[in-house]
Amino acid sequence: MTLKKWLLVLALLTPGLGLIVALIGVAVYIAIAQSFGFYNLSGESGFSLEFWDRMLDRKVFNRAVAYSIYVGVISSFLSVLFAYPLAIWLRKPFPGSLAIGAMLKAPLLVHGLVAAFLFINVIAYHGVLNQLMQGLGLWDEPQRLQNDRNAIGVLLLQTWKNMPFALLLLTGAVQSISDDVLNAARDLGAGSFARFRKVIVPLTVSAMQAALIIIFIGALADFSFQVIAGPTNRQSLSQLMVFFKSSGRWNDAAVVGVSLMIIAIVGSGLLAALTRFTMRGRVA
Amino acid sequence: MSGISARSLKMEFGDFVAVRDVSFEVGSGEFVTLLGPSGCGKTTLLKMISGFLTPTGGEIHLAGENVTRTPPEKRDTALCFQSYALFPHLTVLENLEFGLRQKKVPLTDRKERLDAVIGNLDLSLHLSKLPNQLSGGQQQRVALGRALVMRPNVILFDEPLSNLDAKLRDQVRIEIRRIQQDFGLTAIYVTHDQAEALAMSDRVFVMNGGRIEQADTPEELYSAPKTSFVADFIGSANVLDAEITSANGNGEIELSTALGPLVARADTPPKGSRVKICWRPEHADLSANGKNRLTARVSHRAFQGHFTDLHVEASGAEYRVQTSKPAIREGDTVTFSLQPEQIVLLEAMA
Repeated sequence: MTLKKWLLVLALLTPGLGLIVALIGVAVYIAIAQSFGFYNLSGESGFSLEFWDRMLDRKVFNRAVAYSIYVGVISSFLSVLFAYPLAIWLRKPFPGSLAIGAMLKAPLLVHGLVAAFLFINVIAYHGVLNQLMQGLGLWDEPQRLQNDRNAIGVLLLQTWKNMPFALLLLTGAVQSISDDVLNAARDLGAGSFARFRKVIVPLTVSAMQAALIIIFIGALADFSFQVIAGPTNRQSLSQLMVFFKSSGRWNDAAVVGVSLMIIAIVGSGLLAALTRFTMRGRVA
Repeated sequence: MSGISARSLKMEFGDFVAVRDVSFEVGSGEFVTLLGPSGCGKTTLLKMISGFLTPTGGEIHLAGENVTRTPPEKRDTALCFQSYALFPHLTVLENLEFGLRQKKVPLTDRKERLDAVIGNLDLSLHLSKLPNQLSGGQQQRVALGRALVMRPNVILFDEPLSNLDAKLRDQVRIEIRRIQQDFGLTAIYVTHDQAEALAMSDRVFVMNGGRIEQADTPEELYSAPKTSFVADFIGSANVLDAEITSANGNGEIELSTALGPLVARADTPPKGSRVKICWRPEHADLSANGKNRLTARVSHRAFQGHFTDLHVEASGAEYRVQTSKPAIREGDTVTFSLQPEQIVLLEAMA
């Protein structure tokens, strides 16, 4: 391509993509700069490792890192785990499959905050679930289910919210596998699980990686589910970041933000590598 | 006995009957082709034999065992798909090994089988390649090898040559037949290409409307079709209605047709007084020395190299005649004769 054509392409992309890149770029730049002491709103600006040094020593920060990674990894794996069988089930159209597919994807349209409040209502001390379990005689007294210490509620919400996204990606990928290829595997003696493991997964690994990574990043940076339904004895990274920002400690908030970005990038890379390694390079 | 037997097979999809009351026997080591136009039920029948479709009626026996409801992964059959259906993420060697690994064939046996197939199909240079790095013919050979390595009782082919160009098709056709004979496999081959069916098969099952119209050797199908559909589908044939006016005890039958009176010869007695008859275009003798002399006007002429195809009009209908005389032109009047034994009596008319 000639220089003139490159310039034309750039000019055409600038209004859309250029604006996005510029906005994200500015935010990333400011965050990184602030984490190293620049743009200090409450003191002297200048290069300093002090904010990183102090943050890395904080127990609350390290617990938030571990907790956010836990939520991100488990949510992404659970979402993909539930989405795969549904994608295979919906691979071939059948009466009602369109409606089922639409219903399964409905959580994509529900705002996280709404979902979290609905969930809280259901699992509340005097909520529907407790009443049902007591009514069935399974529990003698109401259980405290809200803000559980293992973040099961957050994981449930994350999986409920993100599974449709994984389903969206995986359905397309699974549908692109020809019937003949699956039938050939069957004809050669592969049962259902062998077909899934040796044919479907390797041929859809790119969609699986995309789903894992995008869900991981979203869940890693979760704020709303954590604030409403998360455990009270620990904070997620975004919760911590908001806490520092609300306290006017913008440089500390920037350190947490940049950490979040680094974990997202490294984690995504590791997830991609892990899926490739599990497939031993046998991917389409 | 590693053959196939089917009894009263039936396959219905809602109100549509794809295969109706089909019964047949295929002997061990026999090469049988299911031939017919699109929608005649040949692929449905093949899918029932391979286990991908469960018949709505009837039974299938492979090597004496009833496999009517046995899933494909548990049947001793191997299917070669029209699209080859190679696993795109696996190398040629891994594709070949796939079935052996699934069936947990011991390593030494696995190696011995792979070596035999790789050598036989000349695949040694391509073992580390992915399917998308192979030509159509090479992919076809891998698909064939993947099936052969399983050493199945029965090998099934679903129009395996339809994606190949004409030259390659001829080569692979010969290769398939050679391998089938070398390995002594029982083979069922689906095609809508009658030339392919006639060239490769021990027997051909001509299918129409979900039924087997005739199951015979290629020679018999060509020279003695039993129905007008078979006569017309295998090669080209002039089919017309006839009324039997007399039949002497020597097999000679006098017929009244739109072309005038004709004499046919048949070993078996006719099935009714009004029948369909046919004759092949190449059996018309333009020297007109024999019986059944007919006169017609040439309406269309197509020079084909070693013969000339003539469309002739007589008594308001059009027939085809082939001749080695290229001098005949459109508008000429030709006289030709037909030997009585070359006029074939087909089904009785309702």
